Amino acid sequence: MAAFSATHCRSYSYSHSSSINGGQNQRFSFSSFSRLSVPAKAIRNSHQTVVLMQDGVVATKVTPVEKETPKEKLKDELLSVTSTKEWDEKAGFDSNENESTVSITVVGASGDLAKKKIFPALFALYYEDCLPKHFTIYGYARSKMTDAELRNMVSKTLTCRIDKRENCSEKMDQFLKRCFYHSGQYDSEENFAQLDKKLKRHEGGRVSNRLFYLSIPPNIFVEAVKCASSSASSGNGWTRVIVEKPFGRDSESSAVLTKSLKQYLTEDQIFRIDHYLGKELVENLSVLRFANLIFEPLWTRQYIRNVQIIFSEDFGTEGRGGYFDNYGIIRDIMQNHLLQILALFAMETPVSLDAEDIRNEKVKVLRSMRPLRLEDVVIGQYKSHSKGGVTYPSYTDDKTVPKDSLTPTFAAAALFIDNARWDGVPFLMKAGKALHNKGAEIRVQFRHVPGNLYNRNFGTDLDRATNELVIRVQPDEAIFLKINNKVPGLGMRLDRSNLNLHYAARYSKEIPDAYERLLLDAIEGERRLFIRSDELDAAWALFTPVLKELEEKKIIPESYPYGSRGPVGAHYLAARYNVRWGDLDIEQ
Amino acid sequence: MDGSPLAKGINPEEQEEFFIDILDKEEALSTLSITVVGASGDLAKKKIFPALFALYYEDCLPKNFIVFGYARTKLTDEELRNIISTTLTCRIDKRENCKDKMEQFLKRCFYHSGEYNSEENFAELDSKLKKKEAGKLSNRLFYLSIPPNIFVDVVRCASMMASSANGWTRVIVEKPFGRDSESSAELTRCLKKYLTEDQIFRIDHYLGKELVENLSVLRFSNLIFEPLWSRNYIRNVQFIFSEDFGTEGRGGYFDNYGIIRDIMQNHLLQILALFAMETPVSLDAEDIRNEKVKVLRSMKPLELEDVIIGQYKGHNKGGRAYPGYTDDSTVPKNSITPTFAAAALFINNARWDGVPFLMKAGKALHRKRAEIRVQFRHVPGNLYKRNFGTDLDKATNELVLRVQPDEAIYLKINNKVPGLGMRLDRSDLNLLYRARYPTEIPDAYERLLLDAIAGERRLFIRSDELDAAWSLFTPLLKELEAKKISPELYPYGSRGPVGAHYLAAKYNVRWGDVGGEDD
Repeated sequence: MAAFSATHCRSYSYSHSSSINGGQNQRFSFSSFSRLSVPAKAIRNSHQTVVLMQDGVVATKVTPVEKETPKEKLKDELLSVTSTKEWDEKAGFDSNENESTVSITVVGASGDLAKKKIFPALFALYYEDCLPKHFTIYGYARSKMTDAELRNMVSKTLTCRIDKRENCSEKMDQFLKRCFYHSGQYDSEENFAQLDKKLKRHEGGRVSNRLFYLSIPPNIFVEAVKCASSSASSGNGWTRVIVEKPFGRDSESSAVLTKSLKQYLTEDQIFRIDHYLGKELVENLSVLRFANLIFEPLWTRQYIRNVQIIFSEDFGTEGRGGYFDNYGIIRDIMQNHLLQILALFAMETPVSLDAEDIRNEKVKVLRSMRPLRLEDVVIGQYKSHSKGGVTYPSYTDDKTVPKDSLTPTFAAAALFIDNARWDGVPFLMKAGKALHNKGAEIRVQFRHVPGNLYNRNFGTDLDRATNELVIRVQPDEAIFLKINNKVPGLGMRLDRSNLNLHYAARYSKEIPDAYERLLLDAIEGERRLFIRSDELDAAWALFTPVLKELEEKKIIPESYPYGSRGPVGAHYLAARYNVRWGDLDIEQ
Repeated sequence: MDGSPLAKGINPEEQEEFFIDILDKEEALSTLSITVVGASGDLAKKKIFPALFALYYEDCLPKNFIVFGYARTKLTDEELRNIISTTLTCRIDKRENCKDKMEQFLKRCFYHSGEYNSEENFAELDSKLKKKEAGKLSNRLFYLSIPPNIFVDVVRCASMMASSANGWTRVIVEKPFGRDSESSAELTRCLKKYLTEDQIFRIDHYLGKELVENLSVLRFSNLIFEPLWSRNYIRNVQFIFSEDFGTEGRGGYFDNYGIIRDIMQNHLLQILALFAMETPVSLDAEDIRNEKVKVLRSMKPLELEDVIIGQYKGHNKGGRAYPGYTDDSTVPKNSITPTFAAAALFINNARWDGVPFLMKAGKALHRKRAEIRVQFRHVPGNLYKRNFGTDLDKATNELVLRVQPDEAIYLKINNKVPGLGMRLDRSDLNLLYRARYPTEIPDAYERLLLDAIAGERRLFIRSDELDAAWSLFTPLLKELEAKKISPELYPYGSRGPVGAHYLAAKYNVRWGDVGGEDD
């Protein structure tokens, strides 16, 4: 492990180990790249690896080196490993000026997301040495604040990883020194021009790359983009904009938003974030499929009976339902997070791991899907519930929610992919607030064993006890495969056990937050985990008709008690397609 | 049920009771006598009596049963009970009434002293058995725990003088079943003079091991394994057996057989056949054994160049001297008997053509272990390969069934190491029996004795299976002996001769158990 600790940000390596014998936990790496010190700029998808030397000329191909290269000689900042594509982006800058800088502007810096997620993620990246040497962070919002006030605010939410406490407060201080604040209106070009001046001063004439993170309500997206792009774009480096959901509320509004964004930005500059794609186990999904022989042959309608993608929260809107009520759970969770996971799960093998190749495959899946029909959707809304002397409020008890709101806080849906691989396999989705537990998981239920020999000897229907692969995205990341095996003993009793991999037990390191990964990717220009415009269009096309129908027909959601397992309608929906929800079984 | 002629006028529940009634009566009227021939021997003391007691403790034996020890030594019933009682144990998780149960069990144990080739002595045994059986329907099981040279005599005497008149008579035989095709055929011929195929229970205690039993369950009751179970996905299969001790002064018997006959030709080959067989029509004994025979008959007889043999030599470690095989006083100084062997076998059928099945067995190695390893092929067109300098094709999936010790199943998969980078890692999806099933796993002998009593032949070796097994190994064994091939020496407590690696390399295989990592 030690070999990796300093160079973990973007190196490829393969370690090989086993934990079953406890204690004998050796790892070794086949990779030479992992030994090179390549912070932040090592781009992952480089078939051809080139080293940029001081004079800006392609000097040599990196060939696998067996021994650790002395870091001093290579001078981290002079070394950058790039792909051909990245190369073009950088070709424009002055070859004598090889130092670049990144300015990250968090627009909406006083908001909740910024405080809870963005600044802590930036700090974590800094702590782990994943940010470029020269970087500046700017908070931008309407509130009047000094730099010191921003730092004070930010410092409250920064934490160090549990396993790395050393130098924590020192690092925090250094980080905070690089944080600044600029107050301005979101629609004022003038204010953004002031920001631009300040940024330029910090950049000190280096190649300036600028990343804007828009953590603001959707109605001011376009204004902010317009101002940032026309008044605060980088003169000689790249300018990228990260946008958070909601990306519209149906096909039309999403198309309008995209069109407006594209007036000021190219597709390359837009980074639509879906933080679920940054989750560790979602990242691992492709590794599981494509780096193991044993899964890919099973990954079809021939062996898979159904797939379930499940999201649940154990709390309601809790006084913050104003935004939610306008969207509902289908737009908030299903159309983006769950559908993205589905597309990754079901896509064909891409030509390579490059962002465009992966996104091409995802779009193909989405476009092969049947638009969702009303009869394949069940919606619910939580009602109040008293348990153990505590009364939990209903959704409409929330002051920010209209009393007669029909907005679903729960939804279950059955989707189908009409392609050769998945024809007829139900993909079930379920998402809800105020349920009995909190979690996100993918469950793959396999078909029954044809002509099961053991069926003859047992009274029970073994066809129900099928194999199941569960990928638990959160909490307690884990992968387990349910198999049938014999209960030890003299008789012949069968039992379903788990072959499992529990992350907490296997990996003692803290798993990085999704935002860290996504921010780092945006800085590096890695677009794999961001949503392209055509993906977004395809996603909306699946959900828009049903969303409209729900609203036009004023379909009343089935109520379910706060803290329950959700409306029973979900079971009937599953039953229609001969599916049982895997998360609500007794054994689970 | 209405349409069933059996169900006329009886509702299902009554019908069930009716059958239970019959069974109870049948059991009350019948009796089981188990005679352990060679009762003073090591196996009897260490395995057979303890297994019988465990079955009794778990209420798996019929209501009326007696256990007779038979051997040449003069012993009283009391003396036998004393000998036995020192080796009985209760399961760790079930201590209650242990003493009581032991006493009750010992009361049912008796001894008869006699020669192994004396019909007269067996006739005496018969009259003693008759007295205990008291006119009930008598079933008799003979467990022959004796050297092979007196097998036939005992079978003759027992069958002629001590067979049950009105119930069944079964004989359990332990290996060795001959030492090559001819001697095995001769033994079978002699046994069949006195016994029918139905009465012969050839025991291979490896088939009674929990994870070997589970092998079929894994294959046939999970959808996910069967599609992978062929040459399309499996690169090679390894059957590995190792002991961490040598012959330790008891090499007399072993030296005449060697590791290939002692472990490979029976235990490992049986597991291989179970592993590789086609799906049987049912789980019935004959159906399973039919499939096993088919596998064995599809195999290519082993050739000399596909075998590596070894013999352990003395070794000093940590101030202690471990003896060489030929240091054993019961072994000839110039013995070239292999204590280690590795072999590559092939099954020439549609499912397995070209897949190497590697076997390895040895004594005096660095650890004690029995396991099955299934190494899968590489991921064709692995996407991740482009991004890594390494050869991901070597980091393939592997399914490991560890038969002993610490029973476990694990599947090695490639996954991403959590973190911001893209590092791959091989982890285990695992099922450690000890963690999942806290109860003690029964000894293989318990299962096999119980099966013999129940007439379940699934785990016993049929004559044609035995013939097929010998015909794979006999040419090789003869050639080894005729050419006096000397074994490669390896130090006591080591990982065995390096020749095993070269054998594996020849078929593009790496042993999974002695890789750079520990498994």
